[in-house]
Amino acid sequence: MRDLVWLIRHTLKRTFSNKRNILLYFGTPLIGIIISLLVYGGSTAKDLHVGMVNHDPHYITNDTIRFIKSIEHISVTNVKESEIDDKITSGKLDCVVIFHSGFSQSVQEGRPSHIQIVSIRGTEITGFIKSYLYHYIDNIAALGQIAKGDEHTFLEMYKRYQQAPFNMSVHSLQDTSKHKYMTYQTIGYLLMIMLLSAGNLAEIIIKEKENRTYFRLLSTPINAKQYVLSNVIVNMIVMTGQIIITLIMMDTVFHIKTNIPFWQMTTILMLFALVAIGVALMTVAFASSSASSGAMQNLLTVPTCMLAGCFWPVDIMPAFAQKMADFLPQRWALDTLLKLQQGHHFGSLYLNILILFAFALAFFLIAVYKFGRNHSVGNFL
Amino acid sequence: MNILEIKNVTKKFGDFIAVDNMSLTVAEGEIFGFLGANGAGKSTTINMISGLLRPNAGEIKILGKDIGKHSHFAKRNIGIVPQDIAIYEDLTAYENVKFFAGLYGLRGSQLHERVEEALQFVGLSDKQKSYPKNFSGGMKRRLNIACAIAHRPKLIIMDEPTVGIDPQSRNYILASVKKLNEMGCTIIYTSHYMEEVEEICTRIAIIDHGKIIAEGTKEQLEAIITNTKDVWIGVKSMDNMDINKLKAISGVKAVQCEENMVKISSDIGVNNLNRIIQCLMNDGVEIRSLEEKSPNLETVFLTLTGRNLRD
Repeated sequence: MRDLVWLIRHTLKRTFSNKRNILLYFGTPLIGIIISLLVYGGSTAKDLHVGMVNHDPHYITNDTIRFIKSIEHISVTNVKESEIDDKITSGKLDCVVIFHSGFSQSVQEGRPSHIQIVSIRGTEITGFIKSYLYHYIDNIAALGQIAKGDEHTFLEMYKRYQQAPFNMSVHSLQDTSKHKYMTYQTIGYLLMIMLLSAGNLAEIIIKEKENRTYFRLLSTPINAKQYVLSNVIVNMIVMTGQIIITLIMMDTVFHIKTNIPFWQMTTILMLFALVAIGVALMTVAFASSSASSGAMQNLLTVPTCMLAGCFWPVDIMPAFAQKMADFLPQRWALDTLLKLQQGHHFGSLYLNILILFAFALAFFLIAVYKFGRNHSVGNFL
Repeated sequence: MNILEIKNVTKKFGDFIAVDNMSLTVAEGEIFGFLGANGAGKSTTINMISGLLRPNAGEIKILGKDIGKHSHFAKRNIGIVPQDIAIYEDLTAYENVKFFAGLYGLRGSQLHERVEEALQFVGLSDKQKSYPKNFSGGMKRRLNIACAIAHRPKLIIMDEPTVGIDPQSRNYILASVKKLNEMGCTIIYTSHYMEEVEEICTRIAIIDHGKIIAEGTKEQLEAIITNTKDVWIGVKSMDNMDINKLKAISGVKAVQCEENMVKISSDIGVNNLNRIIQCLMNDGVEIRSLEEKSPNLETVFLTLTGRNLRD
């Protein structure tokens, strides 16, 4: 046991005496957070730039424009009709509302018309404007219908409506969907980094074989099992650090709410860490050199992460790709986390957890089998 | 007491028999030379002694204990100096020795003392904070030795410890081997440099095709291939020389004359050189040179195995 601890300390010391490795192992997972912040982290309360063309200078039209101006997150600019195309296509305006002559008259008659919305960004923009604008105009039009063409009655009702004694209070609900996507993206990236880190650390075994120190180690009281175990423990220590740092940074620095209890998230990721070590050991067992091991790690890690949906939701991929993803451990780790976010009870996800465990076990067994058959001691002596 | 006992050990790799029913003993205090051409089974044997390979049959004992059953005990009593330098380039000389010594359970002040002692022994005390990447080949080889001796093993296995180094470092290493032996260590030494083996080994075994084909002191090995020794005497003139008188000297088996050189073959165990010289001087023969030639280890090896050691 003392020898094992000695070996673990030695590997950690050698690995992290190179300061670049500290950045490599503990800094790169944070890049995932930054990427997800860039993709999903923009404020949802971004101002909408709306242009106004008023060909109907009437108090109803003016009040309608004033109403639009009063809506939060909308900035209104008066434009000429000739400028519309230019401002819309250049992106300076998201949409333009054109009040044609006769708009006020049509509202007053209870049949609103002579209004037009121009946008090239579709219902994402026009739907938002319409939801406010049509509701307001319909209310005024209802007054016109009740007045039945009586100008005086309409004006009386209109003034009372404009000076309504009640206030509207607005409560904005937080959009938590972006946290869900950010969590997904960050964890997806973390899974890839964990696979690459495990590969790098397991590659130490091959490098030690290449520089002959592995065989000197085996001639000491350390045996091969203890040596591989020490590598597994070093791997677990590093990946535990990666997981904890990532989760803490997500929560405390970047304020990304995962909506999953810390221990549940950590448990699933630690289970995936075992899978990553299994994959790394299997690769090392099959590789003939550190160069071939590195190439195999990259060939395995990046494409499978893409296929498993580490970088984008798996739902957007073709059906056959989604079926292939079911054979990848990253997919099951992400699926487990998604289900936990959706409120599933941890215990109800036992099948996902078992599948992850089975992946880890299978990779470890393949590695052990392959290591066991490799009796070569090369040219040590 | 025997520090190493190998009894009927066989090691196969598939159908290939690398070590074939080998038996061998090394006594405490010996410097045991282990000679064999490439592929003879020498490395496989050493790998089995050091616990890196398990034999298919037979037993290997270190200090009377079977290494299969007491591998921890065996490994603690063995130090390996591998042919390929097995050190960490990114650790200092001190850190290298400290790490490997630590694997033998040494800690604290005892570890520090042993590391310093090992580095001092190989002459690298002043380089203990330097990185091996800045070392010469000879210094790396010495560090390679320091890593193997810091835990004070009773048996040190040195495989080609002088390959590719300058004569000064080579002499230093050979002197170190003798010194280690004087300090009580038993050494198993392999080398392709026959003169090194002749110089330092007290007993030698020759292995070929997985079997020990000869074993003994240098003289015993030489006696296997011949029972005569030759003396070459250079003379000014052979005019007064009486060959029959020379042949009559005890132990002389043959006398041959070529130009101004006389080759006298005698029994290997007989010391008759003084009488030969006296005989020539009595006849008034002027001696100009004298050289005694007996078969060297190289000749023995070539005769027994049919190939050179470097084959």
